[in-house]
Amino acid sequence: MYKLQPILKTYYDALENGQVLGLKCAECGEVVWRPLPTCQACGGTDLSWHDLGKDAVIDEILYDDTSLQGDYTFTKANQYFVNKEAYCIGIGHFPEGRPFHTALYGVNPSNLEQLRKRLPLAAEVEFIQMDGGFKSVGFRVKA
Amino acid sequence: MATKMMRPVSIIGTSTLPQRYFTDPMYAGLSTYELWACACHQAMEDAGVKPRQIDKVVYSQMANFVTSGNILAPVGSLLEWIGLAGKPIIHIEQACASGYIAFMEACNAVASGQADIVLCAAIETPKHFNMRNQPAHMLRPISEYDGWWSPGRALFDTAYSRFDGVSDNLLTDEQGRYYLKNYGVSEEVMDDTYNAMAVNLRRNASRNFRAAERTEYAEIARSRGFNDVMEYMRSSHNPKITQYIRKSGSVIHNVAAGALVVCSSEMASQLRAHPISVKDFASSSNTQRNPYCFHQMNVDVRDALVAKGLKTEEIDLLVTTVMTSGEQLDSAEVFGYLPEGKGYTYELEGRTCFDGDTPINPHGGDLSFGHAFGASGVNMISEAVLQMRGEAGDCQVKKPIDQCLVRGMGGGHTTVGIVLGSTN
Repeated sequence: MYKLQPILKTYYDALENGQVLGLKCAECGEVVWRPLPTCQACGGTDLSWHDLGKDAVIDEILYDDTSLQGDYTFTKANQYFVNKEAYCIGIGHFPEGRPFHTALYGVNPSNLEQLRKRLPLAAEVEFIQMDGGFKSVGFRVKA
Repeated sequence: MATKMMRPVSIIGTSTLPQRYFTDPMYAGLSTYELWACACHQAMEDAGVKPRQIDKVVYSQMANFVTSGNILAPVGSLLEWIGLAGKPIIHIEQACASGYIAFMEACNAVASGQADIVLCAAIETPKHFNMRNQPAHMLRPISEYDGWWSPGRALFDTAYSRFDGVSDNLLTDEQGRYYLKNYGVSEEVMDDTYNAMAVNLRRNASRNFRAAERTEYAEIARSRGFNDVMEYMRSSHNPKITQYIRKSGSVIHNVAAGALVVCSSEMASQLRAHPISVKDFASSSNTQRNPYCFHQMNVDVRDALVAKGLKTEEIDLLVTTVMTSGEQLDSAEVFGYLPEGKGYTYELEGRTCFDGDTPINPHGGDLSFGHAFGASGVNMISEAVLQMRGEAGDCQVKKPIDQCLVRGMGGGHTTVGIVLGSTN
């Protein structure tokens, strides 16, 4: 029988220790990140914690100037970030795992086109300090 | 009684997680998302189906915007957590009737032929909330939420009823007043009846590990120096909170999750032995503008079910919402489960206990089992299913249950009756 297990606390506690965890399905090997208790490929529920490391691949850059002001309807997604450094949105993947959206640092108007020509790009985990007292995960383009 | 649905529907799976508080070690470090996933997967396992076999989800939660970080219905996320991303899902919010309405919606989806297997699931965390800038497991007591929790205010509209100064009182004392007015029972006997009801329900809950409050009042009384539990119940340890209702006669709130799997009865017989048949259901909504509205909604639901073939004398078990004591007594009498004007004697004599001849809420009812707003309906139906299967453990009723009435109420504005039948 399916048993209760802490998913969110385990994940966020690991981030505090510099570790990015996913959940790996014992049945089909799919790695689910951000972690969920159900395999998104086969529906299996026998998953175990899996260290994803710090390296990922960025496949697309969705450039948006985050210094622009949001309006009433759409505030900026970094409103809870302690660090207000400009970032853009990327689509990437860990060596194991499905594509994900992510906050991507290190892209600016002057290097945007150059970086796009180099896609896919190597990137490493950037821990994002949140004003709620925990960390989230973004990525920074490797030089 | 013959079903009035376009095709027969049965319950093939259920899960009702223990009613607890997030401060309980069992739920420490968890959030509603983990509880949701657990309830849904357990119900699917119980039904013998895989996530990919589910055609649709109907989910109920009442206070998600307040308690879950100001989120509107998190339907996509909830699907992901149970491996159903991409499937259809409906969110139902109809105060504490949400779970019952969600169940009816799930049954309708099957009965109409639009879906073969539907998951009806619910979560609610009445006592804790998470801030909008923190993840769901970082919980705070609801008392820290500005403006929350005042059900007497939240349940009434801003056209008139919120401002008329009488609504809150109607939610608690109306059934008692109706009883005193019509059946010549003294206020002292009514007080003893309500106290006996609380004792009976706690006795049931003490045998149900899923109940939130499991210490019998007799034991509590002894610990306070009372040899007579009824003397304790009449004492200042159990103060009146309205004219008729004492503290023991008011609903308790806790975190809960639950799930049910329904499918066509034709499929049900292939998927599991002894599915529970959904015979019929009806609902009524009204406003507290009308005196004795609670009683009238019960009458309206009963009449709707009787018109479609329910024989009230064939009800073997009553599971009913009991937000405050009067609701259980009124419901039992209106639906013909206890004789009109005499039902109070059944409570006083303990005949409504799980091992009595007319059991009501053998799981412990909202006064002891617990109550989690929009999840409560799903939990109540699940407890009825366990009783009908003979799987309720130590609070199992002592007689066969061929037909069970699950009667629910929410918001002071909606009453529901769901008739379940055994296929044994």
